[in-house]
Amino acid sequence: MPTLTIDGREITVEPGTRIIEAADRLGIDIPRFCYHPGLPVAGNCRMCLVDTNRSPKPVASCWDPCQDGHVVVTNSPRVLEARRAVLEYILLNHPVDCPICDQAGECDLQDLYFAHDHQPSRHPFHKHHKDKARVLGPQIIYDAERCINCTRCIRVCEEVAKAPQLVQVQRGERAYIDVFPGTQLDHPYSMCTADVCPVGALTTRDFRFKCRAWLTHGIQTVCGECSRGCGIRADVYRNAVQRLVPRHNPDVNQYWACDAGRLAYHRFETGRVSAVRIGGAAADYAKGVRDVAEALPGADARGVVVVLTPWMTCEDVGAVVAAVRSAAPGATFAVGGAAPGIQDDILVRADKNPNRNGVAKVLADLGVTPVALDAVLSQAPSLGALIVCGAEQAKAEALAGALAAVPLSIVLAALEGPLTAAARFVFPTTSPYEADGTWVNESGVTQRVRRAVEPVGDAKGFEVWASDLADRLGTPLAARDRAIGGNP
Amino acid sequence: MTLTFVLLTLAKILGFILVFCVILAAILTWVERKMSSIIQDRIGPNRAEILGFRAFGLFHPIADMIKSFTKEEFVPAGASKTLFFLAPAFALVPTLCAFAVVPFGPGDLVISNLDSGMLFVFAIMGFGIYGVTLGGWASASNFAMLGALRGAAQMVSYEVSMGLNVVGIFAVFGSVSLTAIVGAQGHLLWGWLPMWGIVVQPLGFVLFLVAAMAENKRAPFDLPEGESEIIGYFVEYSAMGFATFMLSEFLEVIVIACIAATLFFGGWQIPWLDPTGTAGGWITVAQVAFFAFKVLFLCWFQMLIRWTVPRFRYDQVMSLGWKVLLPLSLANILATAVVLALVV
Amino acid sequence: MVKVKVVERPPADLVVQSWLPELWKGMKVSGRHFFVNLLTQKGIVTSQYPEVKRAYPPRFRGKHRLMRREDGSVRCVACFMCSTACPADCISIVAGQRDDENEKFPVTFEVDFIKCVFCGMCEEACPCDAIRLDSGVHRAPAYTRKEELNGKEDLLSLGSLSVARQGGEFK
Repeated sequence: MPTLTIDGREITVEPGTRIIEAADRLGIDIPRFCYHPGLPVAGNCRMCLVDTNRSPKPVASCWDPCQDGHVVVTNSPRVLEARRAVLEYILLNHPVDCPICDQAGECDLQDLYFAHDHQPSRHPFHKHHKDKARVLGPQIIYDAERCINCTRCIRVCEEVAKAPQLVQVQRGERAYIDVFPGTQLDHPYSMCTADVCPVGALTTRDFRFKCRAWLTHGIQTVCGECSRGCGIRADVYRNAVQRLVPRHNPDVNQYWACDAGRLAYHRFETGRVSAVRIGGAAADYAKGVRDVAEALPGADARGVVVVLTPWMTCEDVGAVVAAVRSAAPGATFAVGGAAPGIQDDILVRADKNPNRNGVAKVLADLGVTPVALDAVLSQAPSLGALIVCGAEQAKAEALAGALAAVPLSIVLAALEGPLTAAARFVFPTTSPYEADGTWVNESGVTQRVRRAVEPVGDAKGFEVWASDLADRLGTPLAARDRAIGGNP
Repeated sequence: MTLTFVLLTLAKILGFILVFCVILAAILTWVERKMSSIIQDRIGPNRAEILGFRAFGLFHPIADMIKSFTKEEFVPAGASKTLFFLAPAFALVPTLCAFAVVPFGPGDLVISNLDSGMLFVFAIMGFGIYGVTLGGWASASNFAMLGALRGAAQMVSYEVSMGLNVVGIFAVFGSVSLTAIVGAQGHLLWGWLPMWGIVVQPLGFVLFLVAAMAENKRAPFDLPEGESEIIGYFVEYSAMGFATFMLSEFLEVIVIACIAATLFFGGWQIPWLDPTGTAGGWITVAQVAFFAFKVLFLCWFQMLIRWTVPRFRYDQVMSLGWKVLLPLSLANILATAVVLALVV
Repeated sequence: MVKVKVVERPPADLVVQSWLPELWKGMKVSGRHFFVNLLTQKGIVTSQYPEVKRAYPPRFRGKHRLMRREDGSVRCVACFMCSTACPADCISIVAGQRDDENEKFPVTFEVDFIKCVFCGMCEEACPCDAIRLDSGVHRAPAYTRKEELNGKEDLLSLGSLSVARQGGEFK
């Protein structure tokens, strides 16, 4: 176990640890471009040079492993001068088009320039011009002038996505990143190349020119597109999600997220249910809850069935079960959910529901044994009431038919669809970016979902609806049935 | 009473009151605005135009008149309607009546040569208080009522000293008839100094002017009305009701100027020229014109004071009236009596 | 400790209390203004507004305008610097892509004059000399809020050619 000193502070690390990792653990900031903790080391940018007692000249701290008795200095005049020179060299042909660059505001080059170089260009000649706005794939646009050839994107494709689609061509100042002729950057993790890009060379088409990075504020939440539950950050500006970016979660997704999950927020931009509808006509939310509270107890004799969705948070499930049971003690519960889809061995899971684990756990805790959905569908015409939660139902058409046959049909959904068309009572609910609560992913990791934007119209969380319903029934939910989160 | 007398009197009323005084009052509204503006380094009203002629804003009184006639006459809910409409008339009519005894020129150039002259003026001006109190009371508005109370108290207070101020004049000239007083001012003191009221009663003139301006409720004594902030007794009036109050206010300016010119500036007398007023011809015309000049000068002087002096506080108004003007008036009478007793 | 200077009231002697000398002084002032302005109009400061308009000072900040390049296109590259700098948050931009080397341009560029405080921060922030407040045009009142929302066309109609190097001189 080598023990070394960095800027006068001692640390003992496992053999093979790089100096930059040890410095990160100590909280000592060493500037870097090509080094990324989730990627193999390339050591080509030379930004992370540090002085050591084992070498006559500065060494790249991302490459040099820690040795016993190493004395590392990260801020000696020689190191600072080396950084300044490296930055000046990198910036030689950089177009400095920050005003139109989407990376501005979160650009490593920008930040490090102001921290370490901070001088006008001494380059008297014309800058070398290269391709701008080159389309590499369906999600990625490449600006060769801004590129500093750190090759992080190439390593992402090779190491994370296992799809070596990018390559560096040419040499020296002419070098740039490209796809192989006749192919394009189209693997399902292609947007991660834009994440790791330290400058604005690779930008996503989704976020390109949409909003400036500094205008957004990031909400740390969880992706719901599959049962993996990747940690994501929703960047919000003017009450709209502008983009989703992965956040580091070593237990779930490391640094990465798939393209499909990052574009999922577009699903909730149109086709939202925004107002309560009773029999097709828009109605007041309070009236809708009152009508349901009046009709529900009477339906218990013929049977009340609630179809839950694994998109609900754990708190939602608890509250809905408690509220419905207080109106109809004999109610039974089924769990629906979105249809399974593709799966890969990186992140994407086949189960396209984020909280199947959590729903099952809450139901077990509450002593509810869910019935099979098919059984519900077959006995639908004889039921007194059918409540369907969530629009993400694989058997939506069959459920819609069942809803049409039931005297009291209630749908709580965020999106319009066959279910909302068939039901008598339609209540708007929150999208995953408006919801607040807890999800449990497929491997049992419990994660907090946070509200990023305000709900549209009358949309309310399932839990709030259930709570209002229970209040109206005269049996308010106990504190343990309510969420810790604080839904609208 | 012959027909000639009636026609002649009607002609005099028409000539002196309607043509001279009312039109002068209308013009005074323009003078007031124009004067305030140029004292304050502004231009003042100059936008009303007829066929492109602006005439220094002289058409503004006409525009104001048309506006007053055509505006809605608003009566507040709960107001006593009859009194509400009567009040402006109570303010206007006494003021017009006061002109009856003012000698506009020598001889018959006075509407009614009453022996009681100045006493009649006091009597009739005392009615002006009804306009104020009725206007304030009939409006059914607390603010108007408070304004009317302030106005009534102020007018009653200053009427006392105004009356006492001219007692000195009566004593010196030995009459209360305005015609006689004017005639007496044709005498010369020591053979060269015209014996005008201001010469023999300088303190009396200052006190009279102060009391008269307070009586008229204009700045610096505009507490009953205080148009800029402390709204007063005609706050609920609009259109012609308001215009009538304003007109009577300007007419009072002229009344005060007329009385002051008559009592203290020799009326129609031109110094050293035809003191008996019997010359006739162009000299009479000159005398009438000179009287008009004196009236205009005093109107201008009152306005200059109005745009110079800030408003008094109410306690100041009251203590000025009772504690300063009244003792000084009494002292003035005493001094006059002593001097008369010694000299005559 | 705050230093307090007590200013004594001047004694209210009989001369002051009699009011007359002070009144005379005041009458002299207002009388002087009256006669000077009546005869010469020297002191009058009024300008006859609709007919005579005062020249705006050279640094007057009026309505915004968007400047043009030599080819007539808008200089703005939709960098959002102005809307970031704006303390009133009155500038809304939607960026789009163009095919020349300037790459980015505003598809819409709206200034909400209801919100705008005409501080000029947007002008200061602009790296492209694209937005200016030197149009000399007053923001006119409007009947609806929508009229106060001035779009790109309105702002360009006030604009003119600017040949400043984009990004400014960098020595």
